[in-house]
Amino acid sequence: MHELAIAENLVNIVKDVAAGEKLSKVTKVTVCFGKMVQVVPDLFETAFRAAVADTVAGDAELDIEVLPLKIRCNTCNTVTGPEDYCFVCSACGSSDIEIESGRELYVKSIEGE
Amino acid sequence: MKNILDRNQNKAGEIRELMRENKVCMINLISSPGAGKTTLLERLCEKLAGRYRTGVIEGDVTTDRDARRLQRFNIPIVVINTGGGCHLDSHSISKALTHFDLKNLDILFVENVGNLICPTSFDLGESFRLAVVSTTEGDDKPAKYPMIFRQAKALVLNKTDLIPYTNFNIESFRNDLKKLNASLPLFKVSATKGDGINEFARWLEEQIINS
Repeated sequence: MHELAIAENLVNIVKDVAAGEKLSKVTKVTVCFGKMVQVVPDLFETAFRAAVADTVAGDAELDIEVLPLKIRCNTCNTVTGPEDYCFVCSACGSSDIEIESGRELYVKSIEGE
Repeated sequence: MKNILDRNQNKAGEIRELMRENKVCMINLISSPGAGKTTLLERLCEKLAGRYRTGVIEGDVTTDRDARRLQRFNIPIVVINTGGGCHLDSHSISKALTHFDLKNLDILFVENVGNLICPTSFDLGESFRLAVVSTTEGDDKPAKYPMIFRQAKALVLNKTDLIPYTNFNIESFRNDLKKLNASLPLFKVSATKGDGINEFARWLEEQIINS
């Protein structure tokens, strides 16, 4: 249940940004989670609602984007998006790969007025 | 775009710097509950605590039972009870570190809360992570919890003595690992019987010396 800890961190960031930008109301928060982080969107929504209640973002819409896994092969440079967690290049079979996407845990945007 | 766990990451960076200044190798042990982290630590303390100044941070939801098991080694141990939290974070580690004399420490083991997902998102400022899985959990853990098997510097497969009593399939386990992280060193041990501990302790010692 890392969703709650992540939601609490997110709400602190949202409050800081709202204060810095002098927003009276935050209307929308968009976050991006890589598939590997294994954040469950429904659980995250519940955790976010609990953490954000009675703040400037209490009524904000939450948009969660789950980013797929993408790997880049260090041998042949091909970028592939394996469906399962197979960290082997499907073009040349090398295991020497870098993860390009799938580990993200960031705030994409905070909207308000 | 801002990392949601920025605050944790920044504190972890400070801890990593502090550890470097004091030449302490900090090892973050991650596994499910009951995989045998504490028993493994007992075996490692038997091998290493006499030759290296060793300390332990015990992360647990509640109780100091794990810490009490290690008391016989007469080493500094600090318990972090998370009170329901499913992982340690860098701020709780930072507070725990104030109880250690870091100048007189070579190794600091951090036994994370038993959980294969949540601790993977929280950098503690460790030198590296070790994953522990046990044969009684089934051979499908790498396929189900991929992140830790990408992050860990090595994987300890514990309770190998119990394989005959389980449906653990070592071939299937190895095949999944190969897809996930082909270069991950795998150590097969039985922490209760002591099998494989010497080899693993030797590897660990090399990492500590080179860290």
